[in-house]
Amino acid sequence: MSIHALKTNPGLQTPARTQDVPNLVRELGGITHLLTCGSVDDGKSTLIGRLLWDASDLYEDQRENVRRSGRKAAGTDLPDFSMLLDGLVAEREQGITIDIAWKYFDTDTRRFVIIDSPGHEQYTRNMASGASHADVAIVLIDARSGVKKQTKRHTAILDLVGVKHVILAVNKMDLVGWSEDVFRKIEDDFRTLCWKFNFWDSTAIPLSAVFGDNVSAPSTNMNWYSGSTLIQHLEKVPSRVNEAGSVFRFPVQMVLRDGQDFRGLAGTVASGTVRVGDTVTDALSNASGKVVRIATFDRDLQSASAGEAVSLQLDVDIDVSRGAVLSAPEMRPVAAQTLEARFVWLSEDAFSPTAGYLVRTATDLIPVSNIEIKALLDLETMASRPARACSANDIAIAKISLGRAAAIDVFSETPETGQLLLVDSVSGATVAGGIATSVDAKAETPSEGHFVLKRDMLANGLNRDLSMNSKDREEFMRRANEVAIILRSAGVSVAIEPPPPLDDGLDPGL
Amino acid sequence: MTASPSHLDLLEAESIHIFREAAAQFRKPVLMYSIGKDSTVLLHLARKAFHPQKLPFPLLHVDTTWKFRDMIKFRDQQAKELDLDLIVHTNEDGIKRGINPIDHAPSIHTDVLKTQALKQALDKYGFDAAFGGARRDEEASRAKERVFSFRASGHRWDPRRQRPEMWNLLNGRLGTGETVRVFPMSNWTEKDVWRYILREKLDVVPLYFAAERRTIVRNGQILMQDDERLQPRPGEKVETRRIRFRTLGCYPLTAAVESDADTIEAVVAETINAQTSERQGRLIDHDQAGAMEKKKQEGYF
Repeated sequence: MSIHALKTNPGLQTPARTQDVPNLVRELGGITHLLTCGSVDDGKSTLIGRLLWDASDLYEDQRENVRRSGRKAAGTDLPDFSMLLDGLVAEREQGITIDIAWKYFDTDTRRFVIIDSPGHEQYTRNMASGASHADVAIVLIDARSGVKKQTKRHTAILDLVGVKHVILAVNKMDLVGWSEDVFRKIEDDFRTLCWKFNFWDSTAIPLSAVFGDNVSAPSTNMNWYSGSTLIQHLEKVPSRVNEAGSVFRFPVQMVLRDGQDFRGLAGTVASGTVRVGDTVTDALSNASGKVVRIATFDRDLQSASAGEAVSLQLDVDIDVSRGAVLSAPEMRPVAAQTLEARFVWLSEDAFSPTAGYLVRTATDLIPVSNIEIKALLDLETMASRPARACSANDIAIAKISLGRAAAIDVFSETPETGQLLLVDSVSGATVAGGIATSVDAKAETPSEGHFVLKRDMLANGLNRDLSMNSKDREEFMRRANEVAIILRSAGVSVAIEPPPPLDDGLDPGL
Repeated sequence: MTASPSHLDLLEAESIHIFREAAAQFRKPVLMYSIGKDSTVLLHLARKAFHPQKLPFPLLHVDTTWKFRDMIKFRDQQAKELDLDLIVHTNEDGIKRGINPIDHAPSIHTDVLKTQALKQALDKYGFDAAFGGARRDEEASRAKERVFSFRASGHRWDPRRQRPEMWNLLNGRLGTGETVRVFPMSNWTEKDVWRYILREKLDVVPLYFAAERRTIVRNGQILMQDDERLQPRPGEKVETRRIRFRTLGCYPLTAAVESDADTIEAVVAETINAQTSERQGRLIDHDQAGAMEKKKQEGYF
């Protein structure tokens, strides 16, 4: 890691030649997505600025701007590192409803992606949206005020969207006389707070963003602290993709063909590993096949793990297309007809019991036949209170009946296939993001007015131009979805009968 | 791939995922191909995403007629070698009106021959999704850009219509009249682009490599005299300099840097050790305050 001392002033370096960069294609050991939570008062911009200054590969013109500006951190003679984020701060005026700014920096071993979500009143939805991408979150607090209500809200949101590593950055230690007692008290409060969540690792670090203590260099003012500096700790945190579960999940994005005998199910491994020779199953159709090839542009692989984008060729042409989730036969997701979920309501438009909604899973889009808000969650106490409605920034507990079965997991067991979006069927807007808390393969008992879109009904008129090969089958389902959406917006609760079985004899691609 | 994928492996996989999500969800996508290094990587990622299938969409190049000659040559070579379905569109009306980047302000040239031309082409062919090589690290106003960036009818970018993106779920359901720009390389940095070009041994336009070229210094920037349309003004003279380009666009609007980096390795080394960010060489960005932001609202990327 290169530490850039404040006082050095490296003049213009001579242009680099090849021999100066021994390892040109420097591939970093991975990517860590880092969310920072806290308000401006807690010193968030200063801390991020300090991280960039001390540990990253900033361009010299960016450093020079900070030196030349003459701006000082409040009450000190040190440069104002928060300037490094000024570009982002200015952009806050755009009026984007949910805005997250992304910033990138490299240390010697890792790429860091800073996810910055603003701390204004729209906090919950902004933070939830940002946190959903985070491998690790820094919860920043002022040492003078300790764990606050806001800290509780922050940790609750992080837990909700599946962040597993949390760092409590106890900032402004200089203002409490570098006191160990103050820090230990805060650390204890934080530990207690974290017990009720599912974090794998929660660490408190005493630091001063302005002076740089324990940011990248160990503090000489706090010899009582022997733990890692912030950067040391961040470089050790594994990312979600490295920690994905061992249960194999492969949401199929599309089917690729080469015009001859190759029919590849294209997708990204969501969790677990698949090997050539494994038997995989589609939970919706119960069809199974054996993996004969794991193909990529570069070469065929023997195995593929979470995060890898590949295409799988099976020994038999099973009836699988976009929306299916392949798994091991004995460890499959639920072919869910109903589910319970926790949603962060993202839209300005409040929940409407009569609006048409769709559920978006990894690669499937399913019409909702009925959705009911059960309760709202209080993020400070984690208590729920009964409710029938919800609007922006609420955390709602909802029960959903799907128009047809979809492969869904419980988020706490297999997060990658238990994440959901709720989509407005007319505007297409993403109105809420959520996690499945329970899934059920049994359909709700049809209520009055519940209408089943029968296969024959769809096949005879609407879809009579379609054959039953796999490509047309996708179009069949798309049309059925749209009909369900229209009926739903007319107030009719709808279920779709599955399409007829695959008859690929006519498919010229096979 | 090894047990622990490198950051380039992860970025590549993410981009492939985005390409596939978009191709599966949109009716008629197109890849906006601008010939430069980002487009080169974008195209390569697209080919990886759909292998062994041919690209399921065409490429669109908006030709302002002011691109470097080497760019056009490279474009046509690539289209032939890779068997690409290439559409070239020029705003003929703008050309007839005599709009050019030498006599007109860069903002006018860009608006007419680039922004308007792009809209014309998207409308003409009815594309509902356009892939672009934009990156969030390019500029502050792009730092908040979505992977799926929605445009209202008329290609207007409306901040309130931008959808929150959670996890890696990409919602591509379009509202009435909406189209979308898709940025598979959102999370790449300039350095990644070069490292990847080196790693994957991709061909790029020779203008990225240092060579003796005819130049004119104007307003402190080194311009290349690519053809006779750019002439020295009083007090200026045409001189040969050893230069290369960090970005490519319309030649009278693209500043060169003096450099000896004449191999891909040397260019990568220079980029990794660079002291300034790349957009300093792009004159349109300095034309007016908040230029990029404005261009985005109007539909230029």
